[in-house]
Amino acid sequence: MNHEVIRLSHISKKFKDEPVLKDLNASLAEGEILGFLGPSGAGKTTTIKILTGQLKPTSGDAYILGINSGHIDETIYEQIGIVTDSSGIYEYLTVWQNLEYFAKILKVSKERIHEVLHQVGLYEHRKKPAGKLSKGQTQRLVLARAVLHRPKVLFLDEPTSGLDPSTALEIHKMLFQLRNEGMAIFLTTHNMEEAAKMCDHVALLNEGVIVEYGTPNEICLKHNKVKKYTLQLSSGKTYTLEQTDENIKKISQWMADDVIETLHSCEPTLESVFLEMTGRELS
Amino acid sequence: MTIHMNKVAAIAQVKTKAFMGKNCIIMPLFAIGFTFIMRLLYHNMDMGSDAPMEMLDAYVLSMGLVMNLSMTGVYCPCLLLAEEKEKNTLRVLMTSSVNGLEFFLGSILPVFVISVIINFLLMPISGFMITGSSLAVFSAVSILSSLTSCIIGMLLGIFAKNQVSAGTLITPVALILMLIPMFADMIDELSNVSRFLFTGILMDMVSDISKNADKIIKPESIAILIAEVVVSIVLFIFFYRKNGFEKD
Repeated sequence: MNHEVIRLSHISKKFKDEPVLKDLNASLAEGEILGFLGPSGAGKTTTIKILTGQLKPTSGDAYILGINSGHIDETIYEQIGIVTDSSGIYEYLTVWQNLEYFAKILKVSKERIHEVLHQVGLYEHRKKPAGKLSKGQTQRLVLARAVLHRPKVLFLDEPTSGLDPSTALEIHKMLFQLRNEGMAIFLTTHNMEEAAKMCDHVALLNEGVIVEYGTPNEICLKHNKVKKYTLQLSSGKTYTLEQTDENIKKISQWMADDVIETLHSCEPTLESVFLEMTGRELS
Repeated sequence: MTIHMNKVAAIAQVKTKAFMGKNCIIMPLFAIGFTFIMRLLYHNMDMGSDAPMEMLDAYVLSMGLVMNLSMTGVYCPCLLLAEEKEKNTLRVLMTSSVNGLEFFLGSILPVFVISVIINFLLMPISGFMITGSSLAVFSAVSILSSLTSCIIGMLLGIFAKNQVSAGTLITPVALILMLIPMFADMIDELSNVSRFLFTGILMDMVSDISKNADKIIKPESIAILIAEVVVSIVLFIFFYRKNGFEKD
């Protein structure tokens, strides 16, 4: 079993008297991706801030790499990387200088800067001022900076928000590679497709409460109460049928008649589960 | 809180680059330009035979020094800190294993050094050269004054959310530090305040040097200068502990 690197234990957070997080429990092991999935304002960023010691919980305990996040000092940041929704890059420095700055702070070799720049596909742009990068390139630079020191835990707050699909795909590939290297990744997103594709476990977060927690497949199967099938017949007609005795006979007959062109089962998606549980859409 | 010199040096290096940006570099250039123009003006004005040119040059130097301390020393650290907050780079740094003391030292060091260099550079520009033992006293006072102004700048920076609010916060402070000593000779009440300001003490000292006074600085002025460094550090620590570098 992989070593646990993050644990949220009965975490609650209030801003003034407004509850933002209510009794959160979750954990993340090395080599895994945990997705916090929820709409804007659900408490995803607050959870990251608590885990990284930027905010203190009102009650409960958050542990990162075995240390209570309320008692961490700056040395913990040598083992974690954070990608926030706002880039925080030095626009007047070049791509290389941005990474070199953090390499000096984190005592990382220049060879590693070369390696990371190749990994994120920004090596050709290394002499470009960071302020002149496109949004996708900026996000890749931010990711490069976050993984420069080979952290044990990587926090990603909406890493592909506003990116075009091909750039998002490249970032997904990188994240898979990092996970396979043993990095634990804590990902927040409101993109259910991204969560379903990327995450080993997801927590569906609504108004500060985890309404569902598990692997994407487990969650979808758990809510697959009414089994349905979508069929397209040779005639061009499409049907969505619930699994009843009558419909099974009908489908069997169509199969015998060889008139079915396509046949798919209709499991719920994370989006539909979230909608069913909260009455809210994710995006 | 430990200090890692690699981090301080890295921050200082980037802060120096940031200082060279148009928003900050204009401040020392302004002090230099102002001193140069004032010198030209005084030299081209008919001041009468009673006004020794040396004293006028000394006045020009003291005006330039006060301007440098207020504009470079106070304005630049505050602006650079506000810029870090505005661009969210401060949060990134603070979550990259940099502690508050390292950030403070790395931020203040380049501005402090530049401010001190400009203080000395203003001597040939104003035409008033301080030599001998007076130079040693001038150096000490100039260094203490630059240090105080930089710490005040960082202190103001805690309360500045962005570069615009930094300007709003700095303006009254810079005006107090500049205008009170400048008009202290004309208004007695201002003179009483000026002798408690590091800018006022510096101006008086340069004036006394030009008059070849026996004592170019009073012991109580030295005590005030040291007290101001200490008070500004204490205030900075107090507000840093209360708010961090970001007052939400």
